[in-house]
Amino acid sequence: MSADSLRVFPPSGIQLPSRAAPKIKSSSGMAIDPSVRATETELIREAQQGSRTAFDALVRQYDQAVLRLALHLTGSEQDAEDIHQEAFLKAYRYLGNFRFECSFYTWIYRIVTNLCLDLLRRRKSRREDQAVTLDSSGEEIDLLTNVSDQRASANPDRELNRKFLGERIREALDKLTPRERMVFELKHFQGLKLRTIGEILNTTEETAKNTLFRATRKLRANLAELR
Amino acid sequence: MKCETAQEIIALSVYGELPDDQGPQLEQHLLSCEACRREFEAVQALAKAMALLPVEEPSANLIARSRLRLEEAIDTLPRGSWLLRGWQRFAQGAGRLRAAPVAVSAVLVAGLTVGGFSGYRAGEHAHDVTSPSTAITTQPPDDGGPVDIASVSNIVREPNTENVAVTYDRVQPETIHGSLDDPQIRQLLLIGARNRINSGVRDSSLRLLADECHAGHQCDDGPIRNSLLVALRYDKSEAVRLKALEGLQPYVADDVRVRDAVLEALMKDPNPEVRIQAISVLEPVEADSSVREVLHTVAARDDSPQIRTVSRQVLDQMPQVQ
Repeated sequence: MSADSLRVFPPSGIQLPSRAAPKIKSSSGMAIDPSVRATETELIREAQQGSRTAFDALVRQYDQAVLRLALHLTGSEQDAEDIHQEAFLKAYRYLGNFRFECSFYTWIYRIVTNLCLDLLRRRKSRREDQAVTLDSSGEEIDLLTNVSDQRASANPDRELNRKFLGERIREALDKLTPRERMVFELKHFQGLKLRTIGEILNTTEETAKNTLFRATRKLRANLAELR
Repeated sequence: MKCETAQEIIALSVYGELPDDQGPQLEQHLLSCEACRREFEAVQALAKAMALLPVEEPSANLIARSRLRLEEAIDTLPRGSWLLRGWQRFAQGAGRLRAAPVAVSAVLVAGLTVGGFSGYRAGEHAHDVTSPSTAITTQPPDDGGPVDIASVSNIVREPNTENVAVTYDRVQPETIHGSLDDPQIRQLLLIGARNRINSGVRDSSLRLLADECHAGHQCDDGPIRNSLLVALRYDKSEAVRLKALEGLQPYVADDVRVRDAVLEALMKDPNPEVRIQAISVLEPVEADSSVREVLHTVAARDDSPQIRTVSRQVLDQMPQVQ
């Protein structure tokens, strides 16, 4: 991936993180320009009646955000592509069930996060099943960190160091439960409000908040050695 | 503000989620409380650390690939109600086929009548207007049995005569013996499964295909699994739908389409027996979020109390979602 496709999202101080691409959401959160929403409602109705063009237009509005989320969460372009595929196929199949009780945005994100959660759970159980390798001195080697460790010590290049650290972050994130990981991803990396996260995960804002706290506490414990 | 409260809301503050009215109080508290200030800085540091794994924009390549793949996938989907409409058209067409032999005779008669009439009217030349002779000579069937006519494909009238040439298609019934593993037999069973007119044939074909799938005989992703999926969704006979469920059971864990079709059956099938069977078929994928969602809905809204109870039981048995 070239350097210009890399955008650093600054951690939110008291302000919300800014995002690079123009979004429908305003800086205050969920409020959408009414004329935009009206068009989307029309699109949805047309798509529900069978218009493939309308459905494609809906896809175009959301698929970059979906890919961005899936890509960062999974760390894999292939997995991101698969999630994109499954999510929009589901949307296509079940569009008839969408009754405007929530926003289409929430509906799509629900589908995507459920798929992400399924993947995270599968990965977690696979990791736990993996046999641990022993090196010559009988010490357990964590297969995941072994490669990065060697590279970092052999070459103190800044770029590699950053990558190494990035991997350490990913490992710490992987230690969270799927739900904690999801909430943290949506809050910290994707910048969604806790209320929206609650809606998406079909729970309350309070629960989302508590999950966020648990996640941050665990992460700090896992990353303590980085300092 | 007490430390306990401050600790709780510090993370909210760092993430911009603090209710405005609590801002000044927290600020004041942080000015005077060392411990909480350190907590605040720790949360900020965590947020900074996360910048080491920045969110990247999906590359143009990835976006294009994904869109293309989606297009292709949708193009090859059997489109829900569209499929139903297609079948209805097929059924209507089949109805028309049965009327075909009648149509053939009608055309012959019409052609001959017109021919005779014009001949009579043109009677300046010495025309021997005898009874019109049939221009068509039917080929005697090879086996001597009755010939079914499937359709008439072409009619040409020889000018100024009473002759017409009618081209038609024959249906030659044949019987083939073979094992269920024979690809030719399977091909025929697949066609039989689509028979909208003869439900006995459709029934038998689907049962046999379902049995093959259930036993795991070469039922990998393909036309046979597809025909079971379609039968589960659209067949009018609940016995057939139950059979289709049975045939699809071994694949519910590996094939998302199968899982989704069974989920739909659980939600929408009019017959409670089918819905109950669907629940047990879903057992290997109980933990999937889509499955749990549907089970929640069914536990609340299904007409049958038994089904509501069973769904609730399955949900309660599952390990707590993290």
